[in-house]
Amino acid sequence: MKIVIIGNSVAGINAVEAIREKDKISDIRVISDEQTRAYSHPLLPNFVVGDVSRAEERFYYRHRAFYEKNNVKTILGKSVVKVFPKNKYVQLNNEEKVEYDKLLIACGGKPIIPKMQGVELEGVHTLTNIKSADRLKSELSDIKSCVVVGGGLIGSKTAEKLAKKGIKVTLVELMKRVLFPVLDDTGADYIHKELKNLGVKLILEDSVVELKGDKKVKEVVLSSGKKIETDSVVVAVGVRPNLDFVSDSDIETNKGILVNDYMQTNIDTIYAAGDVVEAYDIVIAQKRPIPILPLAARQGRIAGLNIIDSNIKYKGGFPTNSITIGKTSFISMGIVDSDEFEVLQIQNGNEYRKFLIDDNKLVGAILVGNIEKAGMFNWMIQNKFDVSWIKDTFLNSDFGWKYFNKAFRVLRLDRKIK
Amino acid sequence: MKIVKINEDNCIYCHLCEVACIVEHSQSKDIIKAFKKEERPIARCSVEFNYPLSLSIMCRHCDDAPCMEACQNGAMHRDERGYVTVDSNKCVGCWMCVMACPYGVIKRDTRREVWGLSTKCDACPDRKIPACVEACPNNALTFEEI
Repeated sequence: MKIVIIGNSVAGINAVEAIREKDKISDIRVISDEQTRAYSHPLLPNFVVGDVSRAEERFYYRHRAFYEKNNVKTILGKSVVKVFPKNKYVQLNNEEKVEYDKLLIACGGKPIIPKMQGVELEGVHTLTNIKSADRLKSELSDIKSCVVVGGGLIGSKTAEKLAKKGIKVTLVELMKRVLFPVLDDTGADYIHKELKNLGVKLILEDSVVELKGDKKVKEVVLSSGKKIETDSVVVAVGVRPNLDFVSDSDIETNKGILVNDYMQTNIDTIYAAGDVVEAYDIVIAQKRPIPILPLAARQGRIAGLNIIDSNIKYKGGFPTNSITIGKTSFISMGIVDSDEFEVLQIQNGNEYRKFLIDDNKLVGAILVGNIEKAGMFNWMIQNKFDVSWIKDTFLNSDFGWKYFNKAFRVLRLDRKIK
Repeated sequence: MKIVKINEDNCIYCHLCEVACIVEHSQSKDIIKAFKKEERPIARCSVEFNYPLSLSIMCRHCDDAPCMEACQNGAMHRDERGYVTVDSNKCVGCWMCVMACPYGVIKRDTRREVWGLSTKCDACPDRKIPACVEACPNNALTFEEI
């Protein structure tokens, strides 16, 4: 069988591993417009400031020998122009055709660029792939000040890293707090404090309307009328599914590529996984893109197994995030800010815990400071666990197995219940 | 594959599993040096107490390990023995494994200069029977096929 995978990152690599667990002989080709082996996208802000480099294994998602060991042919530095589902081939930008029996589209996301004048100016950056990271890194020594547009995960991390390098950073966020969908006001306040301590100037509830400069960006104009002098801008308002080569094909899309529970598109020889898809969110009970790494890995694995004739269902996922800014670590998951649910919360110095419960099912959590049992809550959300008899202990900072019912605890710890 | 089985009825809250784990993962594997002279490792098992219950908990080495799935750079991996272990040279301390672990058994070591280090049970690669099991005085921990 000829298997073609478009995309050389988390979903694609996990698909390869899943396929090779059972099938050593099928021909696997991985196509990517990038030249490097799979690397860690969350490390890009660290890469820019020099915490980690291309010379270190730490930067990569898998070892150098991965492709050879798994007998995978790579077609790097080429992009896919179009998919031809009837004749089962993909066309590359160099006119080359690559035939497949089964195709996996795992080409990820691309940065959202908000409408504003002057985005084409020099000194304006994004930070979602190594090419953009290289460009920012190469200009870093000349950068004295930077406006980061967007206080999401990439934006906040970038602001932190640049500020630590001594760059004068202004972070502009449209909403009333940074990390809007993943934290509530109380949680975000910890991050606001950390960023301010690092010297980052925060501008909330404002947005960039224009970037000014002759050739190179010199000034940023906000919708409030405020003007900020700067010699660089990083646009980090989020990513959306990269639908470049699928939008005029027969593959069904909405915001992302639509897939069924088997990660299969409307065309039965074509699968899709990772940031490019719109898969089921079990917490809000609808399909939507959730561009996070653990789900890309799981979806890629399931797609890979199903490509070689398994029948494994994707049970759905929900957003989970872990980030450390300054000295504060937090983990959040599911729905984190809503009046519709039962809310349990406690704040005690550097610790903050919050749980949202819908009809005795956990639907979201925020842990700041003390994050170590976070995965137990993740499990409860994923499995729609009845928390009625245990939720009273959630706010205890020593929450753990000791609070569970004995029969359940023994079964879980003996791996009798997954 | 054998993992450490937890027999909570036998646990007497003596913490010897933690002591043995710390010694086993120390530089010298010498109890005095491990506790008094070297940088003390973090115990990979944790004893929980809620009278009259006590029990020691450590990694269950899942077949479909969510920590590996969540790891951003493959630092969390399955070793040649089949156990889930952390490559300390790769780990960047993003705590995504902590976010994913359904048993809550991954700890954070924040003592390294640049990168944090996820710390968890590695089923003692240098031993036939894990140190915690050997140290347990009354079979509250046993090494068994599960």
